[in-house]
This record gives sequence, C-alpha cells and structure tokens, in this order.
Amino acid sequence: MIILDNVHYSYDGIYTALRGVSLQIDAGELVAIMGNNGAGKTTLIKHFNGLLRPQKGHVFIKGQDTAKMSVAEISRIVGLVFQNPDHQLFLESCRKEVEFSLKSLGYPSNEITERCNTTLERLGLADLAERSPFTLSGGERKRVALASVLATGPQVLALDEPTIGQDARQKERLAEMLFEMNREGRTVIVVTHDIEFVINYFPRTIAMSDGRIIADGPTTSVLSNDDVIQKCSLTYPQMTQAVRALSEMFDGVSVRQTSVNDIVETIIKIVGGR
Amino acid sequence: MIHRLDPRSKLVMSIMFATVSIMFLSIIPLLIILASLIPIIIAAKSFRRWLRSMRGLSVLIVFILIINTLISTTENPFSHSLALALRLICIMTSFSVFFLTVHPDELSQAMIQMGIRFEFAFAMSMAMRYVPTLGYEAYAIMDAQRARGVELDKGNLLKRIRNIVPIIVPLIIVSIRRALSIAESMESRGFGATDDRTYLEELVFRKQDWALTILSIGILLIMIYAHLFLAMPQWMLWDLPF
Repeated sequence: MIILDNVHYSYDGIYTALRGVSLQIDAGELVAIMGNNGAGKTTLIKHFNGLLRPQKGHVFIKGQDTAKMSVAEISRIVGLVFQNPDHQLFLESCRKEVEFSLKSLGYPSNEITERCNTTLERLGLADLAERSPFTLSGGERKRVALASVLATGPQVLALDEPTIGQDARQKERLAEMLFEMNREGRTVIVVTHDIEFVINYFPRTIAMSDGRIIADGPTTSVLSNDDVIQKCSLTYPQMTQAVRALSEMFDGVSVRQTSVNDIVETIIKIVGGR
Repeated sequence: MIHRLDPRSKLVMSIMFATVSIMFLSIIPLLIILASLIPIIIAAKSFRRWLRSMRGLSVLIVFILIINTLISTTENPFSHSLALALRLICIMTSFSVFFLTVHPDELSQAMIQMGIRFEFAFAMSMAMRYVPTLGYEAYAIMDAQRARGVELDKGNLLKRIRNIVPIIVPLIIVSIRRALSIAESMESRGFGATDDRTYLEELVFRKQDWALTILSIGILLIMIYAHLFLAMPQWMLWDLPF
C-alpha cells in the first residue's frame, strides 16, 4: 500500500528531518509510529499524502510514485489528520465541517448526509452536530477534525497524535472506531507518544529517532527493547514494569508479555492458584 | 555606525527626509534627495535589503507611472508621474533607513522613553514579533486543508478567492486563541504588576545623536524657508519633454 524507499528530507536544507527512511506498510495494517520529539514522525506522515515530496528516494502509494500525483489525488486514498484541530476548522457547525471535506472530494449529496451522520454518531459528536466548533472544548474540536477526515473513508488513515486531550473513555471509543475501519480493510497509521494506547491496540510499531527508523516489528518486541525505549524517550508501560519486577523475584517469568491477562495468568501461576 | 545611533535621532532624520520629499514634486530635487539617502543606506550596510524592498515596490511604481501618465492633465504627464514615483521611492527610503537599522526592541524602548505607555509600545513590538509565526501557521493550515482535499491551486479566479476562506478563518481563530493565552501567561508572570517598571537597557542620547537631530532640523527649516519664500532655480524645474 505504502512503500518508502530511502527517503531523505530536510527543511530549508539546514535541518535534516529524515535520513534515509525505508518502510513498507501493507493494506489493512494497523501501525503505530513512535519516537521522541523531533524524530521526524510528522515529516514522515506528510510524505504519505504528498504534502512533502522526498528530496532523495521515492514514496509509492498503491504502486504509484507520489512525485507524479497531486495532493488532492492522493488525499482520496490517504486521509491525514494533523495535531492541531484549529488548523482545519473554519465553518459554523460541526456538521458543515464534515460535509465540507466530503464536498471537496466530490461525493453525491445523499451520500454526504449519510456519511456525515454515521461519522458524527461514531465519534460521539451527534449531540454537538449543530454547535459551532469554536465553542467546543479542545478534545471535542480534535474529534471534529478527525470526523471531517474519517467521513471521507480513505483507504489509508494517518493520524498525528489523536489521543492528546482525550479522556480514557474517548480513547477507547477512538480505538474502537479505528479497529472498525481497519476491519473494513483500511490501513490505519497513528503517530503517538501514548505507549499504553499503542500496546493495547496496535500490533505493529515503527520506532523512529533522529530521522531514522530504529526498530520496526511487532509492538511487544519493539517496545520491550531498552534501546528503543531510551532513544524514543519513552518510559516502560506499567505492565512491562510489573512483569520486570516479577521476573526479578521469581524464576520463569517472561519479560516479553504486556497484556493484563498474561500478567494475571503469571501471577496466578506464581501464587500457585487455580 | 548608523546602527548605533539613538532611534529617536534617526526618527527625526527620517521624518526630515520624508517631509522634504513631500515638499518637492520635480525630478531634479527628488533625485538629489535620493542621492543623499543612498550613501546613508550604504553606510548602514543595508543596501541589499533596501534593494529587495524596492523590488517589492516596483510593481506599485510601474502602476503609478502608467496610470498617472494616462490620466494626468499636466503639461508633461510622464515627467509628472516620474516625479510622483520618485517621491514615493524617497519617502519609502527615508523610513527604510529607520526600520532597517532599528531593532524592534529598540523601537519600543524609544517609544517608551518618548512618553508612550509601556503597554502600547509592547503591543507594537509583539505584533512585529509574531509576523513570522503567523507565516508558519498559515503554511500549517494550508497543509491541513490540502490533506482534506481542498485544492488551493486549482480553478478560476473566483474559486481561488473562495479558497482563501478555509485558510483565513482558522488563521484568525488561532491568532485570537494565541493572543488570549499569551495575555493569560503574561499576567501570570506578573505583567503590569507595578506601575513604575524598570528597564534593563535604557537609551542614551549622545553627542552624535544631538548633532544628527540638530542637523536634520536645520536642513528641514532651511528647506521649508526655501520652499515658501524662494523661487526654484530654472534648472531644478527641468522636465522631460513629454
């Protein structure tokens, strides 16, 4: 679906953001991109829909080189949602905001209403549909911005820090929605610092540092790597910390496990229960 | 050397040059003014930047030349519009000397020491400070809108004008939000807590500043006198024959 081949990018030729990034994301994958501040995550996803073109190397979307496509063309395939919702919202109601995206991509009017309603419903915005986005809270605005891109139903969805300012319930809802889109066969890519969110929902993680990919693979193995945790300035998720503490005290505890259920099993085994 | 002068004395000089430029509307006197301004710009090592700003002005100048030549009722319309264009260049250059050599902080300090309230001076230097930030913001907004399928660089003129709306509305909202949060964070750091604020660097008016101020005012007075009571020598009124 998305193939990056040795992509280099630097801003103004001074600050190098990407130093040779190669990766492949297949259709229907659920991928998290993690990395410390300034690792190049946002620069990377801007290459997915052609907002940035590689200065060296190539980006292919569905086998086509983005160098030969316009952003509008690519945005039908790849939907990108940025960190700051205030950069997109400009209309007088949430509904119009969602409709606007659909209109600019040329959907027929009956489909626009339908898609708009389902998306607002899914993101828990149905009650706010007629409110002005500017009177909403930060987290709500964030969801409106998300809705305006999700509604267009792109084959690839790339989200930059979607969990900022969302409470646990909303995060769960967001994850459910991403899962659902993923089950429909869409590729979902999320850039985030939220390690618990990644561990709970994403099977694959790409770790970046200093413009390079330092690890790419199953989330459990990427995020139990000391080097990755340190370079991405992350702290271990609580489950990993718990499992490490357990393994120091008891034999036969694998430090690779991260899910609550696994750890419950382990503890039960240790105390000799069941 | 010019950079180290007090902004207040430079302001007097710039106002003098601008006023004199407004008093004359013939090619030769304006050329003389321009010829005395350019060495000052060069001495301030700002010639390149001045040229760049003049290049920005060039569209307007061509516009003035064409429109005035076409609609002017004077005897030599082209000469008249050339003089008008030169006057604009002179006024712009006078103030360029000031703005190219005065740091925004110096400017607000000068305003304060001239008796303007700190709040107003501060608001002005803040406004200048946030121009580049606004530029970055505009690019980020354009990216965000293009990512949802807005085609900014397509369509006819009307469509392009309408395409400005998705850029300008978020830009205004973001700016208002930022202004509010800056105000809050400044107040929480004690902005305006005491009436008699102290300053780290105060401007001092030195000998060379007095010299420049007196010289500028002197020239200005002579020019006003000449303008009101003396007839201009014939060679100064020289026009192109069309």
